[in-house]
Amino acid sequence: MAVPAKPPIRQMAMVFDLNKCLGCQTCTVACKTLWTDTPGMDGMWWNIVNTMPGLGTPRDVFSHGGGYKNGKPVPGRFPSQADFGEAWDFDYEAVLASGSERGEHLQPREAGGTSPKWGPNWDEDLGGGEYPNSYFFYLQQVCANCSKPACLEACPRTAIYRREEDGIILIDEERCHGYRFCAEACPYKRVYFNQKRAIAQKCISCYPRLEAGVAPACVRQCPGRVRHLDFVDNKDGHIYKLVKKWKVALPLRPDFGVEPNVYYVPPMSPLAFNEQGEFDESESRIPIDYLREMFGKGVDAALDTLQVEREKVAAGKKSELMDILIARDWNDLLGPFTGNPATIERPPARTP
Amino acid sequence: MTAATEVKLTAAEVAGLGSKPDPTAKAWAKVAGATIALRPTPLDRQPSAYVQASWKDRQHGVIPAIEARFATCGGVLHARLSWEAADPRPAITDNNVFPDACALLFPTDGKDAPLETMGSPEKPVTLWHWRAGAEAAFLGTASGLGTVDRTKSNSLAIEADWANGRWTVAFACPVNNAGFAVPNSREVRVAFAAWSGANSERAGLKSHSPAWTTLVIS
Ligand code: SF4
Repeated sequence: MAVPAKPPIRQMAMVFDLNKCLGCQTCTVACKTLWTDTPGMDGMWWNIVNTMPGLGTPRDVFSHGGGYKNGKPVPGRFPSQADFGEAWDFDYEAVLASGSERGEHLQPREAGGTSPKWGPNWDEDLGGGEYPNSYFFYLQQVCANCSKPACLEACPRTAIYRREEDGIILIDEERCHGYRFCAEACPYKRVYFNQKRAIAQKCISCYPRLEAGVAPACVRQCPGRVRHLDFVDNKDGHIYKLVKKWKVALPLRPDFGVEPNVYYVPPMSPLAFNEQGEFDESESRIPIDYLREMFGKGVDAALDTLQVEREKVAAGKKSELMDILIARDWNDLLGPFTGNPATIERPPARTP
Repeated sequence: MTAATEVKLTAAEVAGLGSKPDPTAKAWAKVAGATIALRPTPLDRQPSAYVQASWKDRQHGVIPAIEARFATCGGVLHARLSWEAADPRPAITDNNVFPDACALLFPTDGKDAPLETMGSPEKPVTLWHWRAGAEAAFLGTASGLGTVDRTKSNSLAIEADWANGRWTVAFACPVNNAGFAVPNSREVRVAFAAWSGANSERAGLKSHSPAWTTLVIS
């Protein structure tokens, strides 16, 4: 019987600051070029950034079930490849052969030659609300190495395990028989399926880099200084301070019951405009109910704390919280993983 | 240990089957087939609370019976399984498409093993496993539910054919390299399983023969 995951000795965790993300997808491409560029992985985006509110990746990302309700597993679905988005090709040759600046434009094509009608982050920058009260924010997702990992507990073969040294959840590709219960059970839909190899694959938190003291590629390459990394138990570290001390970093969809180890600093909304086109001090543009649904009840207090600390800095005072979030020295974001990736093999060897 | 059913299957020498599997070989016409009734595996024994929860209102094990034929030809053991599959799944073509599959199970010592748990650490079972669209046959062992350890086999070969709403899958393997022992009595035990891809069956969600059948290998 698949048994509940044993707590690790230490837990690695991340905090993503939604107020700083540029939506540049540097993280996404850093991951893609490092890990998912071999056959069968074309359509995989272990790291993905979606515009919210939006349908997400895969389409309707949070509506496919999985996770736990009252401690019991919730049946889930594994969306089709079309819902995740087919891997596209581009007609480079036609563009190059056109020989003119005003000739062919680069066009994405699906495997069958069709023009895509859906893809990862398809509804980029659409967001929600009505002008002038439109709003959006970017939501970054990787495997959250949950403390109650629905994927691991769903696998009838115990092909998924949790490392005791850092709590990272890995799929043993040798043991995996491609049954895909894990992909159904993950409520964030962060497990992909390699059709060529008939195995499940997902974000590995760049564990071979971590073992060499180097931060994951998505964390290290983020130009927005969005991503904080550390062990949760380091009381002087960013994760402990943001999650436990200041309580401004919250789990995504806590109602899914999986206790993720990726936390989010919720987006601070600009003030809404009233009908006269003036700021309405009592209304924020991002509906608070939406943020409560996404980040749980703690979101009101977290936003209040952020506001208070922001005002402190605006008044010329010091704020530990704002210093952490600003991250003037980007090495401070990386916890103990400040090693230089140029000193390790690329891609680092994988041995799960 | 698990009792065997009354049916006795024989694998008698049949000239013309050669050493390679061929589901449509004419020589199979000379071999009598036995219809083996299959049943869904018990849901409460699925080794995952998630699997139990997500299939509690859904029927699995929908293939009611499988036809089995056995023969030998010059030291090669041949098996042919055939069952109805009106809506076949010949390959994995999407995230949520599951391939049809079938398997033969033998006590690794040829004599006995607990079938309902797919073997035990002391009494493992050997599997011959075919999965539609897979590049190779799998020869595996198991010593309990969820413990199947399979490797792509060089000795076991499989060919499958789908026609007129039926799969016919032929297995061929040298008797002395079959992954299970053949005692001096030449009597071994065998069990059967089949997965309906159209019904998203995989892993322990399958139809199986709940008791061993005796197979005499001439
Ligand atoms: S998390 Fe960083 S790298 Fe990724 S999209 Fe946002 S700013 Fe860019």
